[in-house]
Amino acid sequence: MGEFTSGGGIDHWVVPNDRQLALRARLGTGWSVHTHKLQTFHKNQQLSVEEQEQILNVIRRAERLELMEQERIGRLVERLENMKKNAIGSGDSQCVLCGDTFGMLGASPTYCEDCGKAVCTKCGVDTFNSHHQPLWLCKICSEKRELWKRSGAWFFKGLPRYIMPKKKTELDKVPGRGGHPGQGQRSRTGSPAPQYNTWTRGRVQYGESTDEQESSESSDDEINISKRKVRRQQDSESESEMSTTSDFRPWASRGSMGTVESDSVSIASSGRPNPLMASRPLSDSKTSLDSGQLPSSGQGTGQGSLPSEGPRVQESQDSTVSDSERSATSGVGSFSRGNSLQSADTGSIKEKHEEEADIDDAFTKYGKHEGEDEDQLSSPESDVSLGTLEFSLMYDSMGNALHCTLIRARNLKALKAMDSNGLSDPYVKLHLLPGASKSTKLRSRTIHKTLNPEWNETLTYHGVIEEDLQRKTLRLSVLDEDAFGYDFIGETRVPLKCLKPHQLKNFNVYLDRQMPLEKDDDLVAHERGKILVSLTYKASKQSLLVGIVRCVQLAPMDSNGFSDPYVKVYLKPDKEKKSKQKTTVKKKTLNPEYNEEFLYEIPKHELAQKTLELTVWDKDIGRHSDYIGGVQLGITAKGTRLKHWFETLKYPDKKHEYWHILSADVVPDSP
Amino acid sequence: MAKTYDYLFKLLLIGDSGVGKTCVLFRFSEDAFNSTFISTIGIDFKIRTIELDGKKIKLQIWDTAGQERFRTITTAYYRGAMGIMLVYDITNQKSFENIRNWIRNIEEHASQDVEKMVLGNKCDMNDRRQVSEDKGKQLAIEYGIKFMETSAKNSINVENAFFTLARDIKAKMDRKLESSSPSGKSGGQKLVKEEKPSDKRRWRCVIL
Repeated sequence: MGEFTSGGGIDHWVVPNDRQLALRARLGTGWSVHTHKLQTFHKNQQLSVEEQEQILNVIRRAERLELMEQERIGRLVERLENMKKNAIGSGDSQCVLCGDTFGMLGASPTYCEDCGKAVCTKCGVDTFNSHHQPLWLCKICSEKRELWKRSGAWFFKGLPRYIMPKKKTELDKVPGRGGHPGQGQRSRTGSPAPQYNTWTRGRVQYGESTDEQESSESSDDEINISKRKVRRQQDSESESEMSTTSDFRPWASRGSMGTVESDSVSIASSGRPNPLMASRPLSDSKTSLDSGQLPSSGQGTGQGSLPSEGPRVQESQDSTVSDSERSATSGVGSFSRGNSLQSADTGSIKEKHEEEADIDDAFTKYGKHEGEDEDQLSSPESDVSLGTLEFSLMYDSMGNALHCTLIRARNLKALKAMDSNGLSDPYVKLHLLPGASKSTKLRSRTIHKTLNPEWNETLTYHGVIEEDLQRKTLRLSVLDEDAFGYDFIGETRVPLKCLKPHQLKNFNVYLDRQMPLEKDDDLVAHERGKILVSLTYKASKQSLLVGIVRCVQLAPMDSNGFSDPYVKVYLKPDKEKKSKQKTTVKKKTLNPEYNEEFLYEIPKHELAQKTLELTVWDKDIGRHSDYIGGVQLGITAKGTRLKHWFETLKYPDKKHEYWHILSADVVPDSP
Repeated sequence: MAKTYDYLFKLLLIGDSGVGKTCVLFRFSEDAFNSTFISTIGIDFKIRTIELDGKKIKLQIWDTAGQERFRTITTAYYRGAMGIMLVYDITNQKSFENIRNWIRNIEEHASQDVEKMVLGNKCDMNDRRQVSEDKGKQLAIEYGIKFMETSAKNSINVENAFFTLARDIKAKMDRKLESSSPSGKSGGQKLVKEEKPSDKRRWRCVIL
């Protein structure tokens, strides 16, 4: 803090204090008073609670803005990526973008100033640079430049942090599914009937959870959604009746009176928290129709009518189909199954009565299972069903852990080489995307010689912070263990943002075929891992206790795909570098556990001006260590890092434990 | 989405306590003035979207406390700023002299590319002037930055100052993107890479 005191005599604190000291000296008062004064001086210099509060408010406001900005940049990045994806030409004899061949007859190529590839006149942009010289760019490079400007990357010499639009994770799936419109129809016969009904509901909710996002996007989907919304309004009569209860009792509201004319009730657009009820048709005609359709065509209806729209349309259409199978894990779940079967079989009046009874039942059950939620998603577009996977997810925001309970898989079908006995030895592998594959890999045990394995096994990811819920996707792949490696059976992906903390969510989904990962490569490169740090300021000892608990998902640095990580602790600025400490080296791991503590004796007011630098390194024998990533805690930090630091100072003698994301950008002063 | 915009520029106001940073910002963002002195606590920011050459530019302007005791917090915001307004009070000689300290502070904490500008505020109070306009101009020339006398109270040059700074930043941006040819993206990453080897070399020296 002292940089300015000499220049500006305006300092309120030093001058009066000096005078006071002089006065004290003249009065012959003892040192005790002096030191006492010194302490109050420091106290004054620190911020009061209200001031801290006020500053934190500003910081929070800024963070909100930052978040919006990050989302904006995310959209820009996505746009650019989409453009890149759609580029089909080679860039030599063809136009990079549209793939038109240049030649005698075709247009002559011009070359992009930035990437140097050949572009046709249609796909290029003619601009001027700042010196008003003409500049020819392909559309991708011009978009890239624009992104560079708009994101502020031009100034910060790199793209700032951004959040990809949530839809992206979903798009990951959609093209893979919607891209083969023919498949769904073929699969009518291929897959067992009951499951069709289960997925529809799941899909609906799935769509719904991203609904808000979608409506803000100007994509094709939006049209679809808005159409459904209109339809929804036609139901408004019943809708209005239940609107009061619906938010609290999603089960009942839909079931009892809603959606009487269940014309593809378009739940996805309603934005209601629970679409399950709506998937039950109530009207007579519809019921019989649906039950008739059940065994054979379930999803075919949707696909047939508008194949290009793929899953979206299906959602709305299939939501009328009653569900008959669902995971039996939760009471709510089983209730709903019974109910829906009823609705399919009985006449409407009688049915209503019964349903009302069931609804009461549902209330009580819903109350009991408040923390539970069920979701089922699936992908029936593949030519042959790959089987279904039942699992549940629970995020524990206190322990920052993601628990994934694998229940069972049904009717697995390996696409390629199956074992000669016609059975598989399935196991499940989990990945958190984006992320280095080895650091986020978890695997279940293998169940031998079956196509209907039951795992009942819980795998846990530690160090999953709430921020990750927004960004990450859990990939579950079912694999067939082989004497030599494995065969891929199917996979499914769950964007973690559909989870709510401390709510168990059940899934029963159709497996997809393997989807490419390369889209995430960019992000993977930036993932360095996370570190769990505990800080305690001991007021009595005037010292800071730094605990390095563990790291997770570290970036692999060695050729074996692992690292030999250790953590360096440094309280800077520190001229003598005495504060440099390090943990032991944990060999060949990306998720090391240290539980090591370091004590720094330092008065609180001095500590407030220090920065705690934690850097994670990969120990290499005979070479210098590789830098994996680091984090800096201090008053200049942001977000959780600032919060952690603030709380440590504000509430001494309490242990404050937080996860921090390691960043490659934190460049240590010297290794 | 409330408003869409093309670019987001982050600006910062610094200067001694009481020179009128908050008032200048208040004039620019709300077109209002309040003569009671309320010391800024730590930091604050305001938003205003302006239009330049047909581009919508959102300005996020950080207002800092001039008081010494907030210095650690305020300096933390230097790095993110694309433009910095150095404000002094023409009726306060000391605040003008301190501009040099503030510039040193910028050199220490802010990004190298940051656009700077000096404002001599309270130019409506000519009768109590302690710093002549020429002195301000000289200082600005010495550091090669733009200078303007403003009055938040009478709304003189406030708008002009922010637009000038924003225009300078935009011009710098356009220039930068033309000069950094093939994909600026890799250029940005390269810089990071270039830093690392030097670190390693240093480290090796220690060992040998």
